[in-house]
Amino acid sequence: MSEQKELKVEDIKTEAEEKRCPVQKSLYYVSKFLSDIMCGKCFPCALGTYEAKKRLENIISGKSTEADVFIIKRIANDMLEASRCKKGKDTARFVLEWMKSDALKDHLEGICHDRECLALIEYRIVPDKCIMCGECQVVCKPNAIVGEKMKPYFSGYLPFEIRQKRCTKCGDCIKVCPTGAIVVIDTKVKEEVKG
Amino acid sequence: MSKMVKLTIDGKDVQAPEGMNILDAAELAGIHIPNLCYLKGMKGIGACRLCLVEIEGMKAPVISCNTKVKDGIVVSTKTEKILEIRKFVIDLILSMHPLDCMTCTKAGVCNLQKYAYDFELKESSFTRKKMGYPTDEANPFIKRDPDYCVLCGRCVRVCKEQGTSVLEFMGRGVGAKVVTVGDKPLQESECTFCGSCLDACPVNALLEADRWLKGREWEYEKVDSVCLLCGNGCNISVSTKNGRVQKIRAGAPEGSAERYICAYGRFGFDCVEAETRLTSPFKRVNGELKETTWEEALSIVADKLKTAGEDAGFISTAGIENEDALTLKKFAKNVVKTKNFDTTVNLYADSDSLKFSQTADINKSDLIVLAGLNPSQWKRVLPALDASVRRRVNGGAKLIVINSSDTKIAEVATVILKGDEISSLKGIAKFLIQKGLSSDKKLEASLKDVGTSEEIEKAASLFAEANSPIVFSSPPIFDASANISLIKGKVICVPLESNARGVALMGLTSEGRTYKDMISDGMKVLYTVGEVPLNKKPDTDFLIVQNSHLTDLAKQADIVLPSATFLESAGTMVDYMGRLKYLPKVIEPQGESKSHRDIFIHLAKIMGAALKRPTEAEVKKAAKVKTKLTVKPFDRKKVFDISADEFIESVNASVINGSRLLWLKESEKAMANTLT
Repeated sequence: MSEQKELKVEDIKTEAEEKRCPVQKSLYYVSKFLSDIMCGKCFPCALGTYEAKKRLENIISGKSTEADVFIIKRIANDMLEASRCKKGKDTARFVLEWMKSDALKDHLEGICHDRECLALIEYRIVPDKCIMCGECQVVCKPNAIVGEKMKPYFSGYLPFEIRQKRCTKCGDCIKVCPTGAIVVIDTKVKEEVKG
Repeated sequence: MSKMVKLTIDGKDVQAPEGMNILDAAELAGIHIPNLCYLKGMKGIGACRLCLVEIEGMKAPVISCNTKVKDGIVVSTKTEKILEIRKFVIDLILSMHPLDCMTCTKAGVCNLQKYAYDFELKESSFTRKKMGYPTDEANPFIKRDPDYCVLCGRCVRVCKEQGTSVLEFMGRGVGAKVVTVGDKPLQESECTFCGSCLDACPVNALLEADRWLKGREWEYEKVDSVCLLCGNGCNISVSTKNGRVQKIRAGAPEGSAERYICAYGRFGFDCVEAETRLTSPFKRVNGELKETTWEEALSIVADKLKTAGEDAGFISTAGIENEDALTLKKFAKNVVKTKNFDTTVNLYADSDSLKFSQTADINKSDLIVLAGLNPSQWKRVLPALDASVRRRVNGGAKLIVINSSDTKIAEVATVILKGDEISSLKGIAKFLIQKGLSSDKKLEASLKDVGTSEEIEKAASLFAEANSPIVFSSPPIFDASANISLIKGKVICVPLESNARGVALMGLTSEGRTYKDMISDGMKVLYTVGEVPLNKKPDTDFLIVQNSHLTDLAKQADIVLPSATFLESAGTMVDYMGRLKYLPKVIEPQGESKSHRDIFIHLAKIMGAALKRPTEAEVKKAAKVKTKLTVKPFDRKKVFDISADEFIESVNASVINGSRLLWLKESEKAMANTLT
């Protein structure tokens, strides 16, 4: 155990920064803080970060309201003043920094611009671009893609579609699609899928 | 006296002694700073963050529980920022609290409820968190309900500080829980059921197990009194409702090392209404005890005593009040005209040691010496002394244990001197004289051929360096201990019974036959007062038992007179530290029982003599220690021929057998059996 370096708040911040969406950054940071770093010796941290995590989870699940954002900011502000040690204060500072972004408001409306909040996005196949090669079906682990592969001299094919209930939004299909026919859209906006 | 510091708190000029924290200083000035985790007398840990205050000129708020007062600082306890933080923390705690104040037993004294009210929080604005932990209520003393817990850690710290260390935190943050080792129920842990955690818990997480539907705080009448069940004579605070005792808590001031009572003091009060409780006099008719009237019983007793005269003997416990002791002495000496009156003190101490013992404040001592004493919370032998010594040690005081046998308290000692106590004490005295701390020729002469050892010199140097050492001594080696205190510090003789010192000061010491003689000599009439440690009827023609309960001895008596318990009789006592303490009448005596002194006065009247109740002045005069200590030979006066724990158990037999303490005794026995 002694070989393992003690994790620092800066370390998990760096890890969090690898994500693009500020909400995801905050959630990653707070979860990691709760499980690995927090000493839990003073109330604002011990009880506050847990609540903040709950609220962040609300936001990424698309069930958020203004209250969630308000409460996260309140927790961060109070932790900044009241936490006993630097770890807690730093946590508050990071979360506040991420919360400054406009992305938060968009999340309330159901849009994650960075397309990292999975509950807010859907994978769709653009029929016009799809050449029915079936590559996506091969890589899709949860078998979420239905459709029949194009065979010469046959007609009446079942078109390729993604069954949302099964889709885990892993992104494997996008990687293999030769024509770029698979796109990510915001669930709430239901924008028209065009070529 | 410590220096006073002037500061301003919320615009109020406050004076506080140097070294005090801001929270306590504000309390002095009548300003309450909210807190959940602070415990007076212990270092603030700053977990709850409720006690944050702002000091002018400082950037960030500071915790008032662990910030000392300084001259000229300007403290604000109610700025907008601070109030928001407090509200935030309370709000967070409420999100994981059952919020059932309407049926909560702690309503009215719950700190969380108070603060929620102050911040107008009807419910939490955060996500509800339900824990659903099981309650621990398999014992009849303490109910633990972790769902109410606010994780302040007071119970954990109190338990640790007094040396029992039963409770511990498991986990962190929201999921944290206060548990015993292995999360076992209390009775399977090392718990002594002293209930210190009950006094500390700010909410309903820890509660006396029998409190459900027994009324809430505002229905209770609270009275300060003293527990007379063992040599510690602890202060207690008794809550009553409708003339019945509902709960007993520690009564010493908050923050004092002596704020402790054991399971006997806290839960033994059930015995007042036990099945064995005597509510009317009994007399023996054709070999069987039959209920009778006071008049008849007393006239028989009066007759017997009159004819017996100087052949009558009185033996009493030292668990009686001063007034009872004084009246008993006068009754025996002046009315019955016998010199045979003695107490159980004679079994373990001589009255001179108790009379010459000094007074001291353990809270101010920086060195404690336990000479020949083996206090133990686990065996309930002077448990409060054990707890307060351990607290002082945790507070930085040093401890020297001088004992020929192994003691449990030695685990926290700085120096342990094993072997003969007298020679250890002699060695310390010799070393102190060599260091030039005393020039008493007599003392020096008596230590001519004494050798010292490395350990003794270590102990003696600690003693020489200490500012206010206290020597707690067992009675047989009191003279030797007192010789040390003549050089430096204070000496306290620690008896096994609560009012042993009071009884000695009141002069209830035999002028004729001793306790032991009376039991074996075949007195014509033997009159026992209180719970004497006898199971078999001693050799006597006529046995009168005056006690609150029908003990084994009482069952063999010729006359049984029902007396009041210490909760039912007003009086005074002198504890082992020499403090005169007042006991009010907390509840009315059960049935027809009467206080000891009233019975004697009544008897005297029948015997044609006027006996008055002792006046307050009379008791106070007698209770004063007048004599100075002088150098005495380093001798062991008397060897204990009783085991301390057995003795304390037997003088409390009816308290134990008549209350839920019986459960404790039996479960401890069962535990001991499974271990061996």
